[in-house]
Amino acid sequence: MRLERASTDHAQRFLEGRFRGALEHAPDGTTVLRLPLGALDRAAVLLADEGARFISVFVAAAPERSLVAAFAFRGQIAALRAPLTEDAAAYPALSLHLPAARLAERELHDREGLTPLGHPELTPALRPDADALEQRIVGDETFVIPYGPIRSGIFEAIQHVVETGGEDVLALETRPYFKHRGLEARFGGLEPVQGAVLAERIAGIASVAHAAAFSQAVEAALRIDPPEQAALWRTVHAELERLANHLDVATKLAEDAALSVAVARFGILKEDTMRVRARLCGSRFGRGVVVPGGIATTQLLDPAELRDWLGRFEHDLVRDRRLLLRTSSFTDRLIGSGRLDRTTVETLGGVGPVARAVGISTDARFERPYGAYERLGFDVVTAENGDAMARLDVRFGEIRESLHLIRQALDRLQRIGETTRLRMDLPAGEGGGFGWVEAPQGELVYWVELADGRIRRVHVSSPSLHNWPLFVASFRGDVLTDFSFIEHSFGLTAAGADR
Amino acid sequence: MSNLFLAAVLVLAVGVPAGFIRPRLGVAATSAGLLLVGVVGLASAGGWSHARVGLGTWLGFGPAALVADGLAGIFFAVIGLAGGAVSLALVERPPGRVGAGLNGLLALALVTVVGVDQGFVFLLAWELVTLALYLLAGLDRDRPGTLLAAYFGAAMSKIGGGALLAAFALLYANTHSFEFSAWAAAAGHLSSGVQAAVFVLLLVGFGTKVGLLPFQGPIPLGYAATPGALAAAASLALNAGFYGLWRLTFGVLAPHALWQGELVLMLGAVGGLVGILYAIGQEELKRFLGFSSVEHGGIVLLGFGVAIVGRASGKPLLEAAGLLAATLHVIMHALAKALAFLGADRVRSSAGTGELAPLGGLAQPLPRTAAGFGVAVVTLAALPPFAGFVSEWFTLEALLQAFRLDDTVARLILALGAALLALTAGLGLLAFAKLYGTVFLGRARSLLGRLEEVRGPAVGFAALALFTGVLGALAPWEIRWLGHGLEGLLGFDPAKTAISHPLVLGPVYPGFSVLAPTWLAIALPAYAFATALLVGATLRPRSRRAPAWTSGALVAPARVQYTPAAYSNPIRVVLRPAYGYRRELVPVDTGPREPERFTLHTRVVPFFERYLYLPVARFGLRTAQFARRLQSGRLSSYLLYVLVVVVVVLALIPALRS
Amino acid sequence: MLEWIARGLRKGVVTSRYPRGAEPELDGFHGRVEIVETDGARDELEALCPTGAISVSGGLVSLDRGRCILCGACVEAEPERFRFSPAYETASRRRAGVVVGASVERQLEAVRLPLGEQARPLRRSIHIRHVDAGSDGAEEWEISALTNPYYDMQRLGLYFTLSPRHADVLLVTGGVTRSMEKPLERAYEVMPEPKAVVAAGTDACSGGFAATTGEIAGGVDRVLPVDVYVPGSPPSPIALLHGLLLAAGVVTEDGR
Repeated sequence: MRLERASTDHAQRFLEGRFRGALEHAPDGTTVLRLPLGALDRAAVLLADEGARFISVFVAAAPERSLVAAFAFRGQIAALRAPLTEDAAAYPALSLHLPAARLAERELHDREGLTPLGHPELTPALRPDADALEQRIVGDETFVIPYGPIRSGIFEAIQHVVETGGEDVLALETRPYFKHRGLEARFGGLEPVQGAVLAERIAGIASVAHAAAFSQAVEAALRIDPPEQAALWRTVHAELERLANHLDVATKLAEDAALSVAVARFGILKEDTMRVRARLCGSRFGRGVVVPGGIATTQLLDPAELRDWLGRFEHDLVRDRRLLLRTSSFTDRLIGSGRLDRTTVETLGGVGPVARAVGISTDARFERPYGAYERLGFDVVTAENGDAMARLDVRFGEIRESLHLIRQALDRLQRIGETTRLRMDLPAGEGGGFGWVEAPQGELVYWVELADGRIRRVHVSSPSLHNWPLFVASFRGDVLTDFSFIEHSFGLTAAGADR
Repeated sequence: MSNLFLAAVLVLAVGVPAGFIRPRLGVAATSAGLLLVGVVGLASAGGWSHARVGLGTWLGFGPAALVADGLAGIFFAVIGLAGGAVSLALVERPPGRVGAGLNGLLALALVTVVGVDQGFVFLLAWELVTLALYLLAGLDRDRPGTLLAAYFGAAMSKIGGGALLAAFALLYANTHSFEFSAWAAAAGHLSSGVQAAVFVLLLVGFGTKVGLLPFQGPIPLGYAATPGALAAAASLALNAGFYGLWRLTFGVLAPHALWQGELVLMLGAVGGLVGILYAIGQEELKRFLGFSSVEHGGIVLLGFGVAIVGRASGKPLLEAAGLLAATLHVIMHALAKALAFLGADRVRSSAGTGELAPLGGLAQPLPRTAAGFGVAVVTLAALPPFAGFVSEWFTLEALLQAFRLDDTVARLILALGAALLALTAGLGLLAFAKLYGTVFLGRARSLLGRLEEVRGPAVGFAALALFTGVLGALAPWEIRWLGHGLEGLLGFDPAKTAISHPLVLGPVYPGFSVLAPTWLAIALPAYAFATALLVGATLRPRSRRAPAWTSGALVAPARVQYTPAAYSNPIRVVLRPAYGYRRELVPVDTGPREPERFTLHTRVVPFFERYLYLPVARFGLRTAQFARRLQSGRLSSYLLYVLVVVVVVLALIPALRS
Repeated sequence: MLEWIARGLRKGVVTSRYPRGAEPELDGFHGRVEIVETDGARDELEALCPTGAISVSGGLVSLDRGRCILCGACVEAEPERFRFSPAYETASRRRAGVVVGASVERQLEAVRLPLGEQARPLRRSIHIRHVDAGSDGAEEWEISALTNPYYDMQRLGLYFTLSPRHADVLLVTGGVTRSMEKPLERAYEVMPEPKAVVAAGTDACSGGFAATTGEIAGGVDRVLPVDVYVPGSPPSPIALLHGLLLAAGVVTEDGR
């Protein structure tokens, strides 16, 4: 479904009209408004009413210590910046009117000590206690099943508190932050190249996405652009990563449905993807490729060899996918499970395949094209139903688009040849910048501040953190046996959300 | 033996007034009397002697006597032994005066019903049983729901009694005598219309006592209302209904139409399923056992229906297979259900409540109750090698003989009955697993304080538990004994072909199928023992205790256990249309800063109550309202009625004359 | 269903022959960092490593693979001294066993016997319970890759089990965040003897990049006794397989 590219001037003109005199100069793709602290929540509501999507709220130190609320607004990132005085301890909560901000404000409260006044549920978020289960439903008919933090199988650590009447899931609470490692704080004092290494290890299965978003934030702060060859290789690695993630989702869903051969087939496809990434750069997860300024080294395969591999891969993939979608014992479990509606997704600020599965065509590669995506053509894949089957359909569509993107990038790389540079040197500079990519889970946004050639502060807005509340909201009339199908159809990480 | 019988009856008669004066003495007398009756029954059914107590003609309408022949002997043995054990349990913790007296009255009335050979005294005793049950159900009248249960039971029994009265009136009109023997002689000459009418009326009459669909409504309510161990005594009244079916419907009336057997079969099959479906959702011990009685009544009727079909098709072996299966089931059910009610009473006394939700983990503080109740549960749930399995196996085997019939409809109905029996048995396992598991196993779900066993030697409870436990292994001897008893009805002894090799059973048809519960009862424990020896000798396991694993969170296991309602929830969700199941989360008021809380409201549509009993009751009340208007209390209306009647009579006389 | 069977048969056998045969090593794969030249090291080399894996003492350099996150900074800066190697048999039963180069003192750590020597049946089959104590998610992918047809750990008698009560090996990833300490201890406590703990990944060996944030304990051995250390960020599936077989006592540290 081809869409019109949003005009980025609309956002600027709208914001200029509404908030005269508060606009600040910002790098391309970002609009920053300076506001007093008390007006932050009203401005946020105004933006949300105009259709802005909440990204995150955090404390920044550039150009001065301020509270920043970032929104995705008409092809731009609209950042509302409210300077914080030394003794500022509280502010009017955004989540009073924006449910999408609840988790972010709780985390902010734990980390910085800023109290959001009027927050509907201000409980500690970081370092949760596995034993402190809250029971929402009282009475004799229901009981509690704690799924986690150690789950039955190979899962990341997260706790789902399920209240059930025996078969149906009546209430669900998902508690992230069990894997909070304090990595945002760890960025402080690192060199930019080391920062990319750390970014890769925030969410290991989206290493390339995190390194790219981080690098783009640094490049935005320093006002440089990576060379064309680097941008194209970044695209290749990012799309290979998307392939691996979506194939992982398909494998897990097939495993839930106990289709052993499908599990084996998709496991082979995913392993092939990982191995080709290892042949390209030495790391199965694409680590060590993306650095601020470009890419680190030449790739070990040339575009022609990669094309051959793609051809064979797609041949197997198409047949396996077709067979999987024809297996009714599989599709029956997905159709109608975990259905979301568009209003809920918009209210909670959902991103990624989850949002596209309810018909919202949000994709960072399309709304705010970055890197080589401005010059490559692709479609944003959406579906209408919002159930697990729709999410899987969106993922298979994105696989198709990723293969198309990789081929386009390889074409261009073959035309460019080997003569261009791989990375730009980083000039000395100060200041902050936003970087964003469309990770396999959804839109990932980094805010990086540099000072004296080193990183001063980083904030990460993880797509999984936005989408976990959507997972909770998607249980309507589903039963316990549907749980793993719905969870795997969301395809979220705990490491990325917890940082 | 007749002297013993007389003594037993006298002791029972003494027990009634004694119970009203000194409860413990009265209950002891009842117990002694019932046990003696049981001995008489054993002897009579086994064919070793016959007993007779003449009652003369002073009770009216011809000579009457209490006779213990083969069939009566079977039921005497059942009621006597089970009832005697129940009354022994009552001796240890006697009920109030009224309860003890009514217990004695019930026992006397039951014995009379089973023993008498004449219709009028039969009806008299039958109504006494009804009266006793009604008063027992209403004993605890301050508890909500008790009076409704009592009235409901009385109303249903009235309908049954009315049907019996009509049937007996028809039979009397045809034979001018109340003697069963006279009726039996005339049964062959009745016109088919009269025979059909009598059959249906008898079925209704006894069906109301047994829990035949659609008359099963009051049974669970009645048991729940009857306090304490008296519910166990009340559960024995079921057997009077079965006896009536055996003696009058099968023995005296001798049904010979296929549709009669098919009707009983279908009602039994569906009734069994309905009983267990509603049992699964019950959250109270005695009501659960009441619905289980409906289920087992249905299974008995399945066997009984096969017997009728067999007689109508002229296949004596089929007849015997069905009747044998049904009788085995009656015996098993009487013993196990009485045991279960005694166990439920003990739980109630120790824990203070009969509701399932607060109970849990009672096996540790109440080991004896758990053991006895466990025997009842495995018997009722039909687990091998116990008695319930033996009788359900026989019933299923009897139904499987459908291929021997010529009539296609009968074959289909028997096959359908077998399928429904299998479904009922499966659901029965689920239901009893829920009952035993959530009450006795696991951890306590709520704080009930320190629980202690009911004090006392529990002679009746233990004896009943022991006997019920080994009943399955004793099946060959039981069948041999039964065979003699049923010989009068069938014309031959089914045990001859039912027992092939020593201790191996078959469904009367020789060579069709085999079951050896006695060998199983020896082999299974032997295997277990041998395995334990082997493991103990070869492995030297050291064990270490660690807490239960709950996904890494330390949660009290009681919070994450299945609650009783949750255990049956999947069935209610899967069979949503059958239950009309609906659920709703209702928000609960909490403070402004507190997170939201909800309670769960579930609803199951009680099908028979809503669509049958309530409309009928309303219709009856409306009719009564209308009739009441006739009784206006005005003299002028009554004079008008008299005038109308006189005119009508004057008009009729010449018409009738001509 | 028949179509799935046909589809499965068409691909043939892709399973690795390890440990009976060597797994072909992929040129250029970042399996581990090796020291080419130990002598003549300047103290500034230590600053190259963001996690402090490089230590120089008396002109001799050593590399603690338990801290090395394979970022390649040292290889890029000093290609004469450090290089990547695709070797995969990197696991060790002792923490000091994953330190290469010259090290000042090699303390003798007490090691528990491998599982296969504690109980004979465990040589043939062990059940593994995975616990995520704060990893970045990549280790979980590599662990679940062990069940795909390329590695097929079940042919070696290794199985994943759902309950720690049935497990012989506790496979821990991540450097143990505060919230996961107690659950991890409970999982260990509930496992029957004999049992072994395998720390999979650099984060589990030493805490990795996050070791200094104060949010994690700094390696699984701060919480539980570890039997096998498998370094790598993340360790490749074949390296994990080597580590698991080491815990079972089927292979030794260097080879058969």
